[in-house]
Amino acid sequence: MDKYQQKAVRMMEWLMLIAAIILVVIGKLTGDTFFLRLATEALIFGGLALSVDLLLGIVGLLSLGQALYFGFGAYLSALILRDWMPSFWLCIVVVAISSALLGWITSFIALRSKGVYFALISFGLAQVFAKSVYNTRSLGASDGMVGVPVIQIPFPFITLNLGDAITFFVITFIFMAGIYFTLKYFLYTPLGRIWNGVRSNESRLPYLGYNTQVPKRIAFVLAAVVAAVSGALYPMLRGFVSPELMYFSVSGNAVITVVLGGVGTLIGALFGSSLLMILKSVIGTLTLHHHIVIGLLFVIIVIFAPKGIVGMLSAKLKVKGAQ
Amino acid sequence: MNTPILQAKNLTKYFGGLRAVGRVSFDVEPLGVTSIIGPNGAGKTTLFNLLSGLYVPDEGQLLMQGDDVTQLDPVERLSRGMARSFQITNLFFDLTVEQNLLLASQKLESWSKLFSATHKSQLAIQRAQELLEIFQLMAKKEVLAGALSHGEQRRLEIAVTMALRPQILLLDEPTQGMSQGDTHETSQLIAELGKSVTILLIEHDVELVMDLSKQVVVMAQGEKIAQGSPQDVRSNPVVQTAYFGDTV
Repeated sequence: MDKYQQKAVRMMEWLMLIAAIILVVIGKLTGDTFFLRLATEALIFGGLALSVDLLLGIVGLLSLGQALYFGFGAYLSALILRDWMPSFWLCIVVVAISSALLGWITSFIALRSKGVYFALISFGLAQVFAKSVYNTRSLGASDGMVGVPVIQIPFPFITLNLGDAITFFVITFIFMAGIYFTLKYFLYTPLGRIWNGVRSNESRLPYLGYNTQVPKRIAFVLAAVVAAVSGALYPMLRGFVSPELMYFSVSGNAVITVVLGGVGTLIGALFGSSLLMILKSVIGTLTLHHHIVIGLLFVIIVIFAPKGIVGMLSAKLKVKGAQ
Repeated sequence: MNTPILQAKNLTKYFGGLRAVGRVSFDVEPLGVTSIIGPNGAGKTTLFNLLSGLYVPDEGQLLMQGDDVTQLDPVERLSRGMARSFQITNLFFDLTVEQNLLLASQKLESWSKLFSATHKSQLAIQRAQELLEIFQLMAKKEVLAGALSHGEQRRLEIAVTMALRPQILLLDEPTQGMSQGDTHETSQLIAELGKSVTILLIEHDVELVMDLSKQVVVMAQGEKIAQGSPQDVRSNPVVQTAYFGDTV
């Protein structure tokens, strides 16, 4: 990442923070929580997009089945909160550990291949899980699971109620910021450098002494955990889960989100998710065929701004810097 | 005579029915430059791939400092001190020159630093700086490897292979496609490196080979046809027929 891209990323980070503050202030002043709930959902799906960007933008692995882990996290979260104990922390810890295990196991299938074959295997794995859930009566089958309770998060001096839209938004924002900065930290470690090497020229790495399977597996497992813990927030927000969360449309949307925001930038994933949510909402009020409009917009962006919003911004900064 | 650092014994490789390398044996003594020459299709690059671990030989054995390394992959061979460069420039083109060198050098660090911030990898940083200076790439350290000139890319290719301070360096046509000036500079660099590292070189530029090498192995049609000092090889009638032509 050159200095203009880094500057663009920093600007986007500030923009996200400012937008979040504005949303909270407006929500507090007007009492209208519609946009806050929308923004919370955008951030949750932004977490899924972050996991896709880790694989695609950093390591060079196009996953078309990342919704598998998102849906897994969502279902496990719903099961824990509804049938076991409505504890936020328990839920997140159990989902993180379980998804790491699931990611580790599935990595032995997915990482056998590269390129388009990896993409197809990741797609196939998600389809198998989605159809299995769809046909499992104890998981609600095609209806999904409803009745996830509103939960509270106890802290030493305060208990936060996630039923409050502002509180939920702030918690989700902090949660996603934590994931974002953790992933960003990894980029500036030797491991992150190896990931870049895998993306850039994997076949060269063995001649520098690297076994590439290990760093790829670490990234794969980490991406699974990020997607799953993001998914774990979904039933807390919506009160239900359904098999559609594991469908290809969810995985595909995450890839679109990353491309829209800027591949390999991480912040682009969060920003792209917010933008896509706004587009869906705004265009959805104008026409029922909003998917057509969004599809066309995506085509236009890929043609005219293939590096996404961050890429567009950094190019502008570069021109400005040269003047 | 020094104990050989590398010993190839009857190395043989088949691709289907074609014997690309057949029963090639030679010893490489420590330090200095040993070159492998031969006309196109002689099996030089296949032999290099056998030496570096990209291919496993169908027959024969490779010893490194007396240890059998025939079945070891490139990662294990590198850990024993054998590094290689490639005939076609093989770099991380969308990373900067410095990032290429840091990536190559960070194996010097303990694995426990894998999750630490990169600025704590002092060994890697120091080694990358040394290489930038030795290979005269300091001014280009922020430039993407893909944006370098061909000559600079070839230099970076060697620098990357030198990162882990190998004992044996396999250089596959390091001056390929270089201008005369770049070729001259690179040959000086190889001669300098040869004082501290054993270099095994494949090169088409016969004059360069004869200037640099203390020993030359000549191949033709997958077999070794001669081995000796540059003078011996030049005067060998078999070599003259097979490689230089009858008129030389």
